[in-house]
Amino acid sequence: MGFDPHEPEQRSQLKDALSAADITVGELWLRYFSMSGSAGEYEVHAYLQGLISLPVTQRDLLALACNEMIAETPPKYAPYADQIVGAEPDDVPSGEVRRRDAPPS
Amino acid sequence: MTRLPLDDLTATIARIRGLLLTEEKVDRAVSLLARAIKESMPGNPGTGVSLLDAGGKRTSSASTDAMVEQADAIQYSLGEGPCLTAWASEEVVIIDDVHTDDRWPRWRDAVLGMPVRSVVSTPLMAGKEALGALKIYSALPGQYDESTGRVLSLFAGTAATLLAHIQGSEAPLKMTESLKATVSSRDLINRACGMLMERHGVSHDQAMQELIKNARAAGATLVEVSEQLVTRVPPAER
Repeated sequence: MGFDPHEPEQRSQLKDALSAADITVGELWLRYFSMSGSAGEYEVHAYLQGLISLPVTQRDLLALACNEMIAETPPKYAPYADQIVGAEPDDVPSGEVRRRDAPPS
Repeated sequence: MTRLPLDDLTATIARIRGLLLTEEKVDRAVSLLARAIKESMPGNPGTGVSLLDAGGKRTSSASTDAMVEQADAIQYSLGEGPCLTAWASEEVVIIDDVHTDDRWPRWRDAVLGMPVRSVVSTPLMAGKEALGALKIYSALPGQYDESTGRVLSLFAGTAATLLAHIQGSEAPLKMTESLKATVSSRDLINRACGMLMERHGVSHDQAMQELIKNARAAGATLVEVSEQLVTRVPPAER
């Protein structure tokens, strides 16, 4: 099976999108698998490396899986001073203990 | 309808993917780690490793000396101490002299009679998750400073990556949840595909392409368009 002329471009832009959104191949594959994708995790790795070719439907499913995951990622906002936990202990209402990675309320 | 034995399936998949090793292996890895740290630190200190679950409960631990085990057990029974702080704050904790440090008064009072004077503890961070803490206890005061903390952090970084994969207790739970969701959405999408195949007399591949097209046009997810298709039969076809 030869390469579709658009395949290299589609693959490389998928890779760019994955790295920009900080999505691992494992995460992408799981999502793609849940969307009834038929290639295995290993094949998806190989496809992203340009080692094997995937049919257009599977490639589009991977793209859709990636895009759905990007759409679900909450955008990162800059916090205000009173949202920084631990900066001013007096400003945090008593009893409110949050881990540092808790999202600002 | 027969229920899928999801728990078995989860464990099988997790094991195949190397996520799950037995508890024995976790304990062994943890105790090797404690020994490696002890060997690499000057002055023959006592070292230990504790793995904690999300609620701060100890799931696994190993130490090189009985004294470490004891001082640790006191921390977890009191719910305070340097390792718990290292784990919760995700920062290195250094105690120059236990006798003069009053950050953990109850723990200090409990270990006063023990050969524990200086302590350094670093969190075990795997990605954004704190898995537990590494600690070194020395019988002499003033043994550790920031540079010891840095060395210990280097250990912690490598160790946590490994431990994140062998730590078995929560992995099956997480796997079950994601596996259930994965299997059911895969089911749903395939059912929607089947309906399109029957309705339009097309192949599975063409049906899938149509679903993708619909999802893109509607700005919805593949699961959403499939759900709509499966649950709503168009009036024309009743």
